[in-house]
Amino acid sequence: MNTFKHILKEHSEWRSQILLLAKADIIKTYSGAALGWAWALIKPVMTITVFWFAFTYGIRQGDSVNGYGFALWMIPGFMAWFYMSDMLQQGANAVRKYKYLVTKMKFPVSTIPTFTALAKLTIHICLMLIVCVIFVATGHMPDLYWIQTFFYMLMMLIFWTSWGLFASMLGAMSKDFINLVKSLGTPIFWLSGIMWDVNRIDIVWLQKLLYFNPVTYLATGYRNCFIYKVWFWEEPLQLVIFLGMMIIMIVLAMWSYNKLIKEIPDVL
Amino acid sequence: MCNNPVVIDFENVVKRYKLYKNDKKRFMAIFSKKVSYKNKLAVNNVSFQIKKGESVAIFGKNGAGKSTILKMITGVTYPTSGSIDVKGRVSALLELTSGFDPELTGRENIYLKGQLCGLTNSEISKLEDIIVDFAEVDEYIDQPVRSYSSGMKARLGFAVSVNIKPEILIVDEALSVGDKAFREKCLKKVKEIIENDGVTLLFVTHSTGTAKKFCDRGIVMKSGKMTFDGDIAEAIEIYEGKK
Repeated sequence: MNTFKHILKEHSEWRSQILLLAKADIIKTYSGAALGWAWALIKPVMTITVFWFAFTYGIRQGDSVNGYGFALWMIPGFMAWFYMSDMLQQGANAVRKYKYLVTKMKFPVSTIPTFTALAKLTIHICLMLIVCVIFVATGHMPDLYWIQTFFYMLMMLIFWTSWGLFASMLGAMSKDFINLVKSLGTPIFWLSGIMWDVNRIDIVWLQKLLYFNPVTYLATGYRNCFIYKVWFWEEPLQLVIFLGMMIIMIVLAMWSYNKLIKEIPDVL
Repeated sequence: MCNNPVVIDFENVVKRYKLYKNDKKRFMAIFSKKVSYKNKLAVNNVSFQIKKGESVAIFGKNGAGKSTILKMITGVTYPTSGSIDVKGRVSALLELTSGFDPELTGRENIYLKGQLCGLTNSEISKLEDIIVDFAEVDEYIDQPVRSYSSGMKARLGFAVSVNIKPEILIVDEALSVGDKAFREKCLKKVKEIIENDGVTLLFVTHSTGTAKKFCDRGIVMKSGKMTFDGDIAEAIEIYEGKK
């Protein structure tokens, strides 16, 4: 609990620098490349196109859901996944990437995953605006459910920032851990229902088990806003389980921070 | 000077590094206490006080614990036991690059560093030209720092550190790079801020000549222990083994 308070205090004292570093992180990712900002777009567009093609024409599983074509159904969940996969890997690498903030000056290490997460969130919000445009362009007008995206965005931010803190501390200690996380990306993607509709699983216990997967919850949440038209309080069990998982993640983050903060400057 | 407040207070500071056989062992040690490791005592029970406006040289052979002490003052590494109390804005030149983001340009780094040290944008833009001028990196200032030569990095690092109005300035052998003219410019600048702004200086060097010019107090370290703390001339004699 003390660690938690300490971290919150560091965040409030350094809030302007956190925003600044988030900005610098975005600039750094895209400046220097000839196409610059376009890269933020190219990767998701390419991936979505390929998957849409493979599923619609290759595997022929791309049926429409709830009156939305497969591509449209896929996009909101996929966008959430883009953010999550970025955070999964780059969150774990955050402290290592910003080594100079740890070993060369006095800087609150706990805020490194936070500004990384905020930088990614900015890109994510831009992508979501494009998603909105796509939905409008295909004749699906905005409704109140769309606003709910902000709720899932916030949940996603908190969960993955905590993951970032947990994982980046371990990642700074060991390259093995970073490799482990990298190799987890693809399995998590296929197991979490980014590409297939979780509601179609007819084995009850398996469907229940997926409630415990935060990635599934968040990706489905995005679809609740755009496709299924469900409010988050209409699925209380899923929400409570997700919040539980989030608390576990926060506790793990505190444990790893507490345990390693004094060792990390000596290791990096 | 005797009445000046104490800005750095070390009390029985011990720093022990845990050395594991490899990274795998170190990782396992997070989860289990049984993993064996060797202890390396880098700083062994060191106590001293430094007052505002003092300039202190720290001498010692490689591995004597000098850099560890500076890192602990800067606040980037933590003591294993003992207490450290530092008051004031510390500007540290730890090794050459002094915390630049290699992907950002020199100018962006000046702003980033300035803001991380708590300066406002308008304060930094006032200092910007002075820093660029001082660092002599000319048109490279808008190139990413990764493309800099080590001399350029050191010059920019030095220019930023001395110009962002530090209260405690820590210089870790950084003055040994650069050509003679630049070195002299640096020394002049350091002297100037010590005299005009009452900056406290901590200086790690092997060059006793330079230390003598600046510092009136010397600390000698030998394998983690402080063997002498006092007048600079005497410290140099002890360090050079004449006494």
